[in-house]
Order: sequence, then structure tokens, then C-alpha cells
Amino acid sequence: MKRQTVPIPLHLIQKRRQKRFYLGLTAFFVIVQLLWVGIPIFMAVMWSLVNPNDSWSYPNILPPSFSLDQWDYVFKYTNIGRALRTSYTVAPLAVILSFLLSLPTSYILGRKNVPGKKIFMLVVLLPMIMPGMVVALFLSRVFSILGLSQTFFGLVVAHTLMSMPYMIRVMTTSFAAIPQDVIDAAENLGATTYVKIKDIFLPMIRPGLLAGMIFAFTTSIEEFNLTFIIGTPTFETIPTILYSFMGYNFIRTNASVVSLLMMTPNIVMLFLVERFLKSDYLSASLGKM
Amino acid sequence: MAKKDPYSLTTILMLLPGVGFIIFFIGSSITLTVLQSFGLSSLIGESRFTLSFWKAILFSTEALDSLKFSLKMGLLSSIGTVLIAFPLALFFRKAGAGKGLLGSIIKIPLFIPALVAAFLILNLISYHGLINTILMRLGIIAEPKRMLNDSFGWGVVLIQVWKNLPFVLLILMSAISSIRDDTIDAARNLGAGYWSILLRIYIPLAMPGILVAMILMFIKAFGDFPITSVAGPIYPSSVAGRMQTMAHIFQEWNQAAVLGVIIIITTFFVIWAYSRFAELVQGDK
Repeated sequence: MKRQTVPIPLHLIQKRRQKRFYLGLTAFFVIVQLLWVGIPIFMAVMWSLVNPNDSWSYPNILPPSFSLDQWDYVFKYTNIGRALRTSYTVAPLAVILSFLLSLPTSYILGRKNVPGKKIFMLVVLLPMIMPGMVVALFLSRVFSILGLSQTFFGLVVAHTLMSMPYMIRVMTTSFAAIPQDVIDAAENLGATTYVKIKDIFLPMIRPGLLAGMIFAFTTSIEEFNLTFIIGTPTFETIPTILYSFMGYNFIRTNASVVSLLMMTPNIVMLFLVERFLKSDYLSASLGKM
Repeated sequence: MAKKDPYSLTTILMLLPGVGFIIFFIGSSITLTVLQSFGLSSLIGESRFTLSFWKAILFSTEALDSLKFSLKMGLLSSIGTVLIAFPLALFFRKAGAGKGLLGSIIKIPLFIPALVAAFLILNLISYHGLINTILMRLGIIAEPKRMLNDSFGWGVVLIQVWKNLPFVLLILMSAISSIRDDTIDAARNLGAGYWSILLRIYIPLAMPGILVAMILMFIKAFGDFPITSVAGPIYPSSVAGRMQTMAHIFQEWNQAAVLGVIIIITTFFVIWAYSRFAELVQGDK
């Protein structure tokens, strides 16, 4: 039997072609990005695996043999263990402190329409806008007047200060997004302030809060200026120790071990929290000055 | 215009922990910077009003060279990042297969600390680094090019772009996603081509986002200390680096304060200029 072939309509062909074009473009960008991000990381891994007895020098693109001696060396003979401990105790404390300080403020900025709100929204961005070194140098003088210089608490306060813009901005956006009806309904049904906080506010701002905490945490982990001025030499965090390996005593292999130690937890965290980190949070809270 | 809520004691008490904390620490350090630049409230030695520290800085070639260098880095980094991020953001506007994966890969540098980023890139661009080795093997260049610690500062710009691309991309993506499809369709119906849609619709409507991205990028690159001191030229240092040397090595806190005031004023001036520019582009208001 002869089947009559129906020609495929032109617009469907065009659509299919367009789809294929976009897929190809995506694949192209994925490859470019894999190289753009992957090669630098790959080279750092190579440098951290150099065998000290079989050196890697100029015309070789890859090291001739691998060993874990560099990792051994860094953990045995440098302060990296202490720096890791300092970094990972200061960061959670700074996150908690900035959360506690930001919570009431974000509630007011998100839910109430007080006069001068726009100015307050700008003021909370100051730690991020102000050039880090200026703040660090002169905050260190304020800290020495207050007796906070070279103390652990001072370091936590400094890191809290730097994380606050993200925390307040993101939580303010989350508070502002809660529909008034829900709150009204709860109040009608006789909800007390405690119930409102527990059953409405906290669950509804949780995604924003998580995003804010992630930004605050990474800000604290990579904070350099303030730690360098206020903390060293008493306290060393991973960034300041890396700076010392890259600056006055440049040792590429040590620096690559420290770099990998510093970025691996961050990258793991990025993929774990990817779903909480929709672009909306950062841009909704920072997109407007 | 919505009704304003009046201030009550509770409101003020609730604003204090966040806003008060920031104003106290940032405000006190700015005040101290300004006062010390005029020789007042020095912690060591006598305090009296003088303009000599301003004169010392404004007549010093080193300080002015540093200032010029940091301005250049700020401008080039902000323009460079936005130029690369904008086409990517346009591409992300349409959802499609593989975009999620692409988004995750692009976001990685956002989570890599600035100093680590500097280290990662300097492995590639150093004198005997990967790029020079490959270019020489391919016979494109006869001897290694100096890309790290070069006198212009391209190494610094490259690191800034690499590290901050995802941050800028996130801001631009939200600016572009707020443009409605109807607007684009209407323009296309009226015969607008790709270029005029780009120039007359995407760019003007995304301008607020573009400017915020440029401002934040400028501030980061202008006030940078660690990246320039690792990958920048031997002379001049960045203005923040110059200030740190003044204060910690020469113990010239008052002159460092002058540089601090200059950095603060430049930052605010740039924010003001960019926002004026935004108003110009958007026409009225």
C-alpha cells in the first residue's frame, strides 16, 4: 500500500533546528567553562603532587612522577593545622553572631515601612562597599582602643561585620516576601508572637536564611584584609597563611596544597547547597543599591 | 505611596543590633581615618590640625602612581568582566538542556577565595607556566612572554575577571530575566533586528543591573590588596598596598589615613558617577 507522506511543517523544522543550535551552543559553553575553570584547578593538583626527588621543571607540561610528600610536609612543618582550626571555628561563630544580630533588623527592614528605610538599606552594605584595607587598618586602631586587637573575640567581631551585608540583605528580602494575609490569618486565629515566629517567620525565611548563611560562611573563610591586620601574628587563618606562602616565601608546592585545602570544602558546599542557592537570593538582595 | 510606620521604641531597639553594629564599627573607623589624615587624635605623639600629611601625599609620585594604577585596574576589571558576562547572561535567558550543569560549573570560582584564584591563575601565566610552555611548543612565540607581574597589570585584570565572573553573571542574569518576553516580541514584530533589540532593549533595560555589577567590581578591584601584591607589577603597588606599607612599615599612620580618605572619596565618587550615568541612559527620572 502506498503511504502518503505528509511534509513536516516549516515552523517545526525551524524549531527543531533552533533547539539543536541551542544545544550545540550549550555544549560549546560547557567545554569552554570546563577548560576555563578546570585547567587552573588541575594544575594546582599537579603542583601539590610533585615528587621532591624527581623535580618538575620548565619544558615538561606535567610532573614526571607523583608523590604525597608535599601534603606530608605542609601538615608536619607549617601552621596549617592551627590555621584550619582557627578558620573553621571563627566562621561558624561569625555566622551565628551575624544571624542573631541581623534577625531583628531584617524583620524591621523587611516588614515595616519606617522612614529612612532606603538609607538603612544602603548603610548595611557599607562593610561590603568600603575598601577592605581602609576599614581593616583603621578598624584595627578602633579595636586597639577597645582592647579587641589580637584577640579571638575581635577576630569573630571583624568577620561578623564583613558577613552582615549579605545576611541582612538576604533575610530582609525573605521577610518582605511573606504575604501579609498569612500573618493576619494567624493573628485572627489567636497566634502569639512566639507561635508566629516559630510557625510562620522561621519556616518561611528558611531558604533565604540558608543562602545568607552560606554567603556569610564563605565571606568569613576567605576574609583576608581584616584578619591580616587585626589577627596576625597571633591568629592565622587559611588566607593569611596562603598569602605568606605566595608572598615573602613563595613555595609553589606548599601554596598549592593550601589552596586545595581551602577551596575543596567550598566547592563541595557549592554543589550540596546548589538548590538553595538560586540566583534570586544574591541578585534580589544586591541587585538594587 | 504606602503609609509610613512610625518609630516606636521596639522598632529602634530591633534596628540597633544590625544597623547600629555596622554604623558603630564602620563609622568609627571612617571618622578615625578622616581625623588622623589632618593630624588629629593620633594615638601616638601629639595631635594638632595640620595639612602637611595631605601635602606629603599629594606631592609624592609613588602615591599618585599607585592611585593611577588602582584606578586603571578598577576600570579595566569592571569593564572586562561585564563584557564577558553579558553575552553569557543573554544566553542563560532561554532555558534549555544542559543549562543547569553549565550554571554549576560557571559558579565554581565564586566559591574559590580570591587568593586561591590568584594562585591558580599565576600557575598558568607565570614565566615558565602552562600557557607559555604550550605557546612555545606550538612555535607561536620564540621566548616566554611576561604575563605575571607585568608592568601594565594584565595579570591582575585576568585574575579579577576569572574570580568575579560568576558574581557579575548572577547580577546580570537577574537583571535580564526581569525583561519580559512581550517586549522582545513586540520589537521583533515591529521589525527590529538582533542588533537593535540588543542595543535598544536588552542593554537599556538591564542597565541598572549592569551598573551595580560594574560598581561592585570596580570597588573590589580598586581597593584590592592581596591580588595586586601577588600578581601585580613590582612598581607601583596598589593604593591599598601603598597604604598598608605606609602604616605598618614606615609607621606613617597619618599619611596612610590620607590615602584612606582618598580611597573612600574615589569609591563614593565612582558610585555617584555610575548612578548619574544610569539616570542618563534611562532618560527621565
